[in-house]
Amino acid sequence: MKDLKHLQYFEDLLQEANNDLIRRAQEEGRICAAYTCENTPEPLLNLPGVFSTRLRAPRTGSLDISTYYLTSFLCEYSRALLERAVEGGYNFADCIITPDGCSMMNRCVENMELLKTMGAGKENFFYSYMEIPMKADDNGLNLYVVQCRNHILKPLQEHYGIDISDAAIRQAVREHNRICELIRAIGDFRKGEKPRITGYEYHVITMATYAAPKYLIVDKLEETLEELKTREPDPVFPYGARVVVVGSEMDDIDIIKLIEDSGAYVCADRFCYGSLPGRNVIELNDEEDALTQVCRQYMYRGQCPRYMDSSKMDARRDYVYKLAKEYNADGVIYEQMKFCDPWAYEKMLGAHILREEFGYPVLAVDRPYAIGSSGQMRTRVQAFVESIGIKKLKKEDHNG
Amino acid sequence: MAKEVGKDRLGDLYIDGGKVRRRREWRGVADTLYDYSRWLKIMMTLGKFVMKPRNVKAMFRYRWMANYLAVPMMVDRHTQGLRGEYLRICHEEQDLIIDDVAQLLENLFRGDRRIGNDTEFSKRVVLVDENEMTAVMMGFPNLKVLSRETPSTYVSVLLNQHAAEHYIDVAQEFGLASDVCPMPEAEAGVSIDDDAPVLGACAIQCNTTCDGSLLGNGVISRRLEKEDGIPVFQLAAPLRHREDDVQDYAAQEIKNAIAFVEKHTGHAWDWDAYFECAKRVNYATKCRQEWLEMNRTEYPQVFGSNLALYTETNYMAICGRIPAFEKADRRITELARQAYAKKKMAVKEYRHRAIIWGVQSHYYMDFLVWLLNCWGIVPLTDMLSMVSTRELKETDTPENRETAYYDMAWLTENMIMRNRTHGGYQVLLDELWEYVDMFNADMVILWEHMSCKALDGMHGLFEERARERGIPLVWVTHDLFDPRIVSRQGVRDQINSFMRTVFREEPLDPSLEVLKDEESW
Amino acid sequence: MSKPMKLLCWILLFCTGFFVITFTVYFFNLDMKLTAMIEPFLLKHYDRIERDRHL
Repeated sequence: MKDLKHLQYFEDLLQEANNDLIRRAQEEGRICAAYTCENTPEPLLNLPGVFSTRLRAPRTGSLDISTYYLTSFLCEYSRALLERAVEGGYNFADCIITPDGCSMMNRCVENMELLKTMGAGKENFFYSYMEIPMKADDNGLNLYVVQCRNHILKPLQEHYGIDISDAAIRQAVREHNRICELIRAIGDFRKGEKPRITGYEYHVITMATYAAPKYLIVDKLEETLEELKTREPDPVFPYGARVVVVGSEMDDIDIIKLIEDSGAYVCADRFCYGSLPGRNVIELNDEEDALTQVCRQYMYRGQCPRYMDSSKMDARRDYVYKLAKEYNADGVIYEQMKFCDPWAYEKMLGAHILREEFGYPVLAVDRPYAIGSSGQMRTRVQAFVESIGIKKLKKEDHNG
Repeated sequence: MAKEVGKDRLGDLYIDGGKVRRRREWRGVADTLYDYSRWLKIMMTLGKFVMKPRNVKAMFRYRWMANYLAVPMMVDRHTQGLRGEYLRICHEEQDLIIDDVAQLLENLFRGDRRIGNDTEFSKRVVLVDENEMTAVMMGFPNLKVLSRETPSTYVSVLLNQHAAEHYIDVAQEFGLASDVCPMPEAEAGVSIDDDAPVLGACAIQCNTTCDGSLLGNGVISRRLEKEDGIPVFQLAAPLRHREDDVQDYAAQEIKNAIAFVEKHTGHAWDWDAYFECAKRVNYATKCRQEWLEMNRTEYPQVFGSNLALYTETNYMAICGRIPAFEKADRRITELARQAYAKKKMAVKEYRHRAIIWGVQSHYYMDFLVWLLNCWGIVPLTDMLSMVSTRELKETDTPENRETAYYDMAWLTENMIMRNRTHGGYQVLLDELWEYVDMFNADMVILWEHMSCKALDGMHGLFEERARERGIPLVWVTHDLFDPRIVSRQGVRDQINSFMRTVFREEPLDPSLEVLKDEESW
Repeated sequence: MSKPMKLLCWILLFCTGFFVITFTVYFFNLDMKLTAMIEPFLLKHYDRIERDRHL
């Protein structure tokens, strides 16, 4: 396929945590709210005058300092973030808001605070920790709303004078939804037999929407969508299988590339920093306050394995199954970052259920934060693609 | 063989590479006869247990039951070197815990569909997690609150260091990553291995100590609900438990859990029973505080595993529901007062006063006794014993009933270990140094349970704070349930080398420095 | 010897015998040595039991 016009632009945005657009937005007087977990309602960090960036540590190298503070038993994402923070790589942020999503992320941000790694020269800088529900029910919703009010909205208002009114939240949701609609429309091009966008390209574009101020990339997303409408797909589908990738935090752009280079087309992205369900549109009505509605939708759509009630656990695996059907996947890759407890269990159960109950071929792998060009992963994906191919052939033979 | 404390070479009792000890300790006539009499009592408890055919049937059905062959040895390990009041305190606790566990096993097997299959009894059973605070059951006096994980994994590893290895391997065979905490991993392994009794009207699970524990419950509840037809309520206690703005949520969770139990058992919540339990919880708290006060002085009395193991059981698993523990509290306090008045010491010399922090290695729970006997280090208190001291409302009034939900929520949020691993760095990092000052400690022994992410995540800052304060800090790495990763000698070696190289000291009892107990129970 | 005395002697003899035997078992840890011998057989037995092993 012909290269996407803005792909290089989006890739460049992902080379640094403090990318060009963050600097531009701050020059325009906006406040940069950093966050680390998908359970933080993004529109609340994008109220008028604020923009969000989800922290990443691109081009991570040595993790010596963070390994000293966190030991080598914590996941590399938390260590990479702390290392980058210690290096001063997040000094651009004006605050950091973090739920206790998992113990490791919590400890990572606490270390950032105690080691005074952020907020140099920013007198209004603040760290905010928040509780988020572990069950999706009315009680959980009440908690979510209170926590968002006390630990996101109030500090933003008190430290930076941000308007936290219902109208402001509704405006932020409208802008958020515009991004979601574009991303979803772009993602729909993955469903066809001959997709017009690769999983890698889509991952880069989606990640840019998490890492850069959204209002500054809307035009590029719109142009990309237009471009895709007329983009000529490869005449022959160049992959051996279509897969849904499911799992823990994944912001390394090389991993999807590696999977696709190994012969598996990534048709759906069900992982943290993916678009499913992270880029679902938030629908608001006029009867109820916007904050409650945002929280409710985050809570019920959330696919994070920290949700512990049975209905949520079952729904997580059903969701993967539905995605596999909707995106015409041949198999599922469950990935887990090494040392991630929540996904260690979810990977085991999810892989088993998708394989045994839903009949999908499943590859379950663990991986480091930055995968580079791991030969081990390449071999495993190649073998997986091959096994799917053999199954397809057998099925065809069986059907005569 | 000597009556005096510290005269014997306790290491000589070990058989190299053996499962059990050469012989029991001679503690002088009075203490030996006392220990013998308590051994007889334990043998009677075990004898009564095996008299029941269903218990024998269970012995041949459940792999973890083999560990109960080692019950008397567990007591021997914890009483090692102890004399007088210390020995009596230890027996008071250990024997009661043995009775309680024997009762738990009997009840489990009575209701177990595979063994006793007493369906009427089973309808009165509510299953709970091993690591779960049972406050939410304080008002159900006619229901049986049973944990399957307590006897299958928690107590089993106390009895036999290798008890969890089989279940850990089973879980990993099914694809679980090997870097998760081996405790929930083993519990999940028991469920996968079809080795858990099946009974109960319903179950309550809780997000107890860590992410691993929370997720491990998902493996267990899947089998309970989908296969055994036992409905499960997941009680989500807030993680940031010191914050005021989570308490309404926590109290509502308690109300929801109670409603769930009422619905599935047909039993109504009994406020009289609740407030009775609350009184006993308050009494236990008062006693524990008195013991801790003594430990701040030069003559600590209830410390080490005498404090740790008993607090774990009494505070969380019992939570005021069993009157026998109130009697034990009283008796232990009397013994402690008696010894304190006489300025007694557990070993001939106290060289260091240590705060033990972090999560202790479960397969080496008697390590605290070893510290005392080998190096003269007094484990004044430990992280798991520093639990809530909040006084619960005891009288039945409309206001107190509402407050009671908050009290139960508070206890649930502040389960052992959870009250430190969750709730922000203040409760784990900052409060350690407050206790160092409060107890006048001169060293900190920090367990590094390697797969406990919440603790690992403060590693560097613990070291920095220790350096700033000039407090010697020793790391003792282990893997909680799995001695194949770090053996008991591996645990001891970390202390041995620190004591020799940093403090340049010689052990009080050199025979304990290196023990070939890899094969031991 | 009168009957009650005889009974007392028997009781004393029984108690002494009971004490000597049980104290020997206690002191030389014979109870644990016995159970340590039983354990391997039990473990083999558990390995032979058919189980419905699954997630």
